[in-house]
Amino acid sequence: MPTALQTSATLHCDMLIIGAGGAGMRCAAEVLEKRPDSRVIALTKVPHPQKSHTATAQGGLAAVDPADPADKIIYHMFDTWKGSDCTADQNVVKKICEAAWEQIIWLENRGMHFSRNQDGKLSKRTFGGHTLNFGERSAFRAVFEADRTGKGIMDTAWGESMKQGVSFLNQCITTELLFNGDQCVGAMVFLQKDGKFVRILSRATVLATGGSGQVFKVTTNCRQNTGDGLAVVLQAGLPVLDPEAVQFHPTGIVGPGILASETLRSVGGILRNKDLEPFMERYAPKMKELAPRDLVARAIETEIREGRGVLNPDHNIEHVWIDLRHLPPNVHAEQIPEVSGFFKKYVNLDPQKELCPVRPSNHYHMGGIPTNISGQVLNRNQDPVPGLYAVGECAAASFHGFNRLGTNSILELITMGKAVGESVLDFLQTAPQKPAEASAEHTFSLFSDYLDARGSGSIGQIRDALRTLMTAKVGVFRIEAGISEAIASLKELKERAQKVSLSHKGLAMNQELVQRWELDNLLAVSMIIARGALERKESRGAHFREDFPDRRDEFNHHTLASMSVFGDVALARRAVDMSVFSAGGNHHEKFNLIERKY
Amino acid sequence: MEKNYQITLKIHRYDPETERSWIQEYRLNAGRILRFVDLFRKINDEQDPSLAWNSSCEHGQCGSCAVRINGKPMLSCELLVENAVAYFNTTCFEIEPLAIAPVVRDLIVDIEKAYEKVDRAKPYIIKAKPQGQTAAEYAITPQELEKYVNATRCINCFCCAEACISSPKAFLGPNALLAGIVRVMDPREQEKAERLALLYGDQGVRRCHSSRACSFVCPKEIDVAYFIALAKTGRFNPQV
Repeated sequence: MPTALQTSATLHCDMLIIGAGGAGMRCAAEVLEKRPDSRVIALTKVPHPQKSHTATAQGGLAAVDPADPADKIIYHMFDTWKGSDCTADQNVVKKICEAAWEQIIWLENRGMHFSRNQDGKLSKRTFGGHTLNFGERSAFRAVFEADRTGKGIMDTAWGESMKQGVSFLNQCITTELLFNGDQCVGAMVFLQKDGKFVRILSRATVLATGGSGQVFKVTTNCRQNTGDGLAVVLQAGLPVLDPEAVQFHPTGIVGPGILASETLRSVGGILRNKDLEPFMERYAPKMKELAPRDLVARAIETEIREGRGVLNPDHNIEHVWIDLRHLPPNVHAEQIPEVSGFFKKYVNLDPQKELCPVRPSNHYHMGGIPTNISGQVLNRNQDPVPGLYAVGECAAASFHGFNRLGTNSILELITMGKAVGESVLDFLQTAPQKPAEASAEHTFSLFSDYLDARGSGSIGQIRDALRTLMTAKVGVFRIEAGISEAIASLKELKERAQKVSLSHKGLAMNQELVQRWELDNLLAVSMIIARGALERKESRGAHFREDFPDRRDEFNHHTLASMSVFGDVALARRAVDMSVFSAGGNHHEKFNLIERKY
Repeated sequence: MEKNYQITLKIHRYDPETERSWIQEYRLNAGRILRFVDLFRKINDEQDPSLAWNSSCEHGQCGSCAVRINGKPMLSCELLVENAVAYFNTTCFEIEPLAIAPVVRDLIVDIEKAYEKVDRAKPYIIKAKPQGQTAAEYAITPQELEKYVNATRCINCFCCAEACISSPKAFLGPNALLAGIVRVMDPREQEKAERLALLYGDQGVRRCHSSRACSFVCPKEIDVAYFIALAKTGRFNPQV
């Protein structure tokens, strides 16, 4: 007899937001500011919205200040297009860059504690890839809240949502989207604390589930970023856009993967291998440590692969060194205090006296749930799915194409968060007052299977094998043979996962049960990343194929990957929007297929 | 540099289904720079998948992983094995869930219950001051911001509330007060009266015994007691 599971309650609302990070909360606030009588439920997997991954963003928010005589929106658009390796959608790039400053003011007026200049105005800093006059010189475009800009966004968007009366359900997971015909009418949700399944019927549903960084062994992403939103969408027969577009930051701190910012290299930090050789001289004789992110990441990976890395025995991770010992004490104290602090805290060493261990760390998923410019989720025929929206890192409109510029991600959260709020408001004008009926078709059999499996194996060990595999074969470097091996191994890991018997069968706060579900999500997301990477026989942005090291025009399109049954991947294409180029206005030639050279 | 420690963790456990509480001992071999969250994960992966514990960012930015370690509330993502051994002068550690909210399972507490106090302090601008210009930022000088910016760094890990010697029933708690104080000091906030009423009300600053335990345990090194002291000395309300 399979374990009998049941729906313990049904809730109704106008808008269900799955994921209470920056994007979800900005969207909620928009809807409630305009229609305070709306019933909005926001779900989060973390113990409280404030614990969302948004809160860890450090650097800043790119936005062109209309009062700045030097900067122009079209420069920001160009930088984003070029950074994306000509794979961002230009209609989306235009929309977000044009909407940026208004959203900065929204945040400031609602209490975000931006850093200020002497006039009391918002301070601005430069960031890699952001330039004036189409690459001429660095732009002061990023506003920030010290080194905790994401926290400022999170606190503000959460505070506003709470003020406006959002109902929160914390520490729960969405196991299935509910459909009536082709219309999304809500979701099945597992409340971890109570161990209960509830059905939430909603007139509009917004996926804002964040990233999938836990696919890789070393990542800057939080523990909950297991690609759940993507897996739920795949299971519903909907596609994922550009799954192979995954960004790696060159310098993650060993072992937790915490970001050691570019600043370390810009103030003069030197990368060294196990022989202490300053190896960047061999890869980029002129730029050395200041070469672009992806080039530095590949150089470090090459050193490690060719046996010139160093093994950290505690975390079992190979790395190179960044040498900061020669930097004057005032540089340590004034220019890199936070990162220096991270090395002290997490590696227990003194960067003024000792070498610091770093290696490429998974950072961001450019790919995600395909949406149109209004955040409506698109099906395989590229038609909007009525009632279903996606926003934030889990979504791909696509603003980042195949490579995201620093400071553009949290900008996307707030601009698209608002835009999706507007779309939902429009939709609710005409949608029926009561959400249509639907019930779970998939959740109970899935969870019964988890609870009833009677084989052996450890979830943790399978997860570790998966993350090691993806890092080695589908990480910074990709090659046909390696990706194919990874795909075969993923199938074996899936079989192993299906045998794992849970040590504890109770439902209330059963983390093992949730981790079993997460493992399936990680496997699904890994599979489509690998299949997308295999099919894309070229190198583009963060996707680097050793066997095809150049960008190729025949791949000037997005990938659409569907997978209703594990391993059974169907791939299709979506054209890249080049409407800014084809409109033919001033500077339109900058938006042609240009080289990504800096 | 390679060095391993034989660590003993005595973890306070609770099973909501049987309502049983017990202390379970785990022995593990751990490298010097593993963090306590890594140890919990190691227990899950190698010994006991049923042990429940919370974390999210795992680098001191979210505060989800706060527990009591040998009596001291701290973030388990920030404590390295070799630092713990040096600080507590032992390789044996007793791990308890925070007492600021009911335990859900093992080391996981119902943090929503603890957050109710923060919610009462309204961590947002209740009513913004009218502003001359529309679509512009308020002018706040760096000097003005500097007065309260440290209070804005709070991540609500509740370590301070755990360490506080005042009665949790009678007192709103240090981090909730801090959330209110931020907006008392924020020049954009117009609604000061309601905030001062909370600050100087029954559960407000008068319940603080000035032990400064909050400042001592804060993982973000915020001098929480300083901000509470500002309120106590009547800085925000000359009538008190």
